[in-house]
Amino acid sequence: MSKKLTVIPEQCSGCRICELVCAIHHFGVNNPKKAAIRVINTYPHPVMRMPVVCSQCKVPACAQVCPTDALRMVDGIIHLDKENCISCFKCVEACPFGAIYAHEDCDLPIKCDMCGGEPECVKNCPLGALKLIPEHALGEIKRLGNVLSYTQMREIEFYEKGEKKTIRYAEIGKEEL
Amino acid sequence: MSIKSGYYKKHLHIDLTKSSTDYRDLTDAFLEKYVGGRGFGAKLVWDNLKKHNFRLDPFGEENLVAIAPGPLSGVYLPSSGKNSFVAISPATGLYGDSSIGGGFGVELRQTGMDVLSITGKAPELSVLFLDNSNASIIPMPELKGKTCLEAEGIIRERLDTQAAHVATIGPAGENLVKFACVNADWGRNAGRTGFGAILGSKNLKAIVVRGHEDLPVYDIDGLMAEANKAFKYLREHKYFKLWQQQGLMNVIAYANEKGILPTYNFKDSVFARYDRINGETMLTDYKIGDSACFSCSMCCGNICLVKDGKYAGTVIEGPEYETCAMLGSNAGIDDFAAVLSANRLCDELGMDTISTGNLIGALIEGYEKGIISLSDLDGRNITWGDDDAILNLIRMIACRQGIGDIIADGSRRIIEKWPEMDKLILQIKGLEQSAYDSRAGISMALAYATSDIGAHHTRAWTIAREMEEGQGWSDEERVETVIYHQMLRPLFDMLGVCRLPWIELGLNEKHYEHFYKYVTGNQLTLEQLLSLSNDIYDLTRLINTRLGVSRKDDTLPYKVHSSPPLTGPNAGKVVDREHFQALLSMYYNKRGWDEDGMPPAGTEKKFED
Repeated sequence: MSKKLTVIPEQCSGCRICELVCAIHHFGVNNPKKAAIRVINTYPHPVMRMPVVCSQCKVPACAQVCPTDALRMVDGIIHLDKENCISCFKCVEACPFGAIYAHEDCDLPIKCDMCGGEPECVKNCPLGALKLIPEHALGEIKRLGNVLSYTQMREIEFYEKGEKKTIRYAEIGKEEL
Repeated sequence: MSIKSGYYKKHLHIDLTKSSTDYRDLTDAFLEKYVGGRGFGAKLVWDNLKKHNFRLDPFGEENLVAIAPGPLSGVYLPSSGKNSFVAISPATGLYGDSSIGGGFGVELRQTGMDVLSITGKAPELSVLFLDNSNASIIPMPELKGKTCLEAEGIIRERLDTQAAHVATIGPAGENLVKFACVNADWGRNAGRTGFGAILGSKNLKAIVVRGHEDLPVYDIDGLMAEANKAFKYLREHKYFKLWQQQGLMNVIAYANEKGILPTYNFKDSVFARYDRINGETMLTDYKIGDSACFSCSMCCGNICLVKDGKYAGTVIEGPEYETCAMLGSNAGIDDFAAVLSANRLCDELGMDTISTGNLIGALIEGYEKGIISLSDLDGRNITWGDDDAILNLIRMIACRQGIGDIIADGSRRIIEKWPEMDKLILQIKGLEQSAYDSRAGISMALAYATSDIGAHHTRAWTIAREMEEGQGWSDEERVETVIYHQMLRPLFDMLGVCRLPWIELGLNEKHYEHFYKYVTGNQLTLEQLLSLSNDIYDLTRLINTRLGVSRKDDTLPYKVHSSPPLTGPNAGKVVDREHFQALLSMYYNKRGWDEDGMPPAGTEKKFED
């Protein structure tokens, strides 16, 4: 079963711990600029903190432009073959998300390799903004959020054994009838 | 043992008058003795003062401002995104510092330096741009009058630096408002002691940093293991989730319950409608996201949006406790949207919310008592909770219009103009007091009186401990608690990390001994580190005493001695004068200072190199 690294930007606080652990894990140095994931901030319209990381596309734009076939999909993850890479950085420019990175000290592009299946960024994100989920479950969270926001929800509060509880239910729009 | 890593050993000095940039090497002895952050800053400011024979105008070209992260800034450990600004403060004329979170300090370090210092004055409004290979001063007169956030946007676009970190000043800084602040990362502020005005006096609108160096760490595996232990401790703490959700906003309810929430210019210490400006209200109606400083899992920052009403559309990174208390209950405002709007306005104009709220509260009371007349206010009435008038006053201060011109010069100028205001303004050494009522606990009063920058809680925050467990404290325990805080809390500012994991969630301070060891390779015990921090406290005291401070300045505001809170758990309480003087004597004695608060002869020698 193939798993995807997904981002829930609404949960991200911009702490950049993902960048740090990624760089330490792959390069052994404390340098967020050597990470294969970066948090982009926009403010004030819209206010957004968005971790940008490789989506392991099935039709990868990066691999398509690679002149030496150094980027190859193996078990759902696009790996960079260090032997064949000629450091032209065409992949960095081709990625539609800007999710492959470059650094002056590094000869090769910096690209997410999913840490062999258990990404450090996911393990260490303090707010659960990064998740590893099965491919078939992609979009589930969004779908639920969407359903809730499009339904006219009402809320009632009640007490059960002294504990306050709420039930949300959909009100059928009487006014519109 | 000695320093093996953790520093670039570089100090960049910039003289804006000569437009010169000068990279200097730092010696191991310097690094070991002053550690970083406020330590570096205090030393550079001290040397600069000596050079000018202790005669220095805070707004003069000669005032040196040091911007210093610490050896732990940006390192993988809880909340390592701190950076200190240090200079002679225009508000107090004495030593001043302020720390800023976010990621500005980390990025500054990544340009490959440990400390940046700036003197001189640019011929026209300019921006300082630093990256790994160069430092350039770029004239941008078109930024004049732009707000902090506008300027940040324009600079990013103009210099093509979307990923850089930008610290800006607003109109308040340009107009030399003595409590103007420096704003970075869209809403983090070096708030206190007037750094916005200092940069304004230097014609420096912004500092842009973009770096990519590895942060030097001696033993990365050791660091990882230690940091993971600390992160795990925090994650499992029972209040961790609360901090993530509310951040410092959870303190409003606590402060109100304990009777330390400044209300109506400290006339009271409980606010009847506190629940309209507390963390719960923020969560239900306003919060739309979290915001954290670099490498922080607690994410005490909030992002709020006003969704309806006359302030609809206001977005703000904030608020936090101080702002909500000073611009909320202290000004009698019970509308959270109005507080957010005032906070946003202060951020835009680049003004400290604590001093602004404190002075506005005092002004309203002054007007109520007839000390300030309607004509002083240009015929515009102002009362408690009048948000329109308060927002207008904030603009008037930043632009120095009407009475705003006097308020902009801070509490000293106000007292000069209306001497009776001395009884209403809570300030020490010219710095307006922050939002913890010290009438509830005398150790907090001592902490404010002996803080090196004036009435701020950053050096020692003993109020909660005294209320929780210190009811039976002896005076000796009170003094010792204040001194311990004054050693430990500034140590965080020297290392370049945040103190909240320790003070709020009880992260053991021993961790920092290990963090320091793994980063620098220098093995010091916590006691040795505290002793280095204590030396810096002596140094800042020395700076202040050479600038004229003595026992006569380590005082308390009139209200703390003579005007008790009207209601709440601390109703009727004041700080007894004799008791306070006895504590102060004991404090000096324990620090090894004389009866007049002077460090012993020979202290200067310690800081010669």
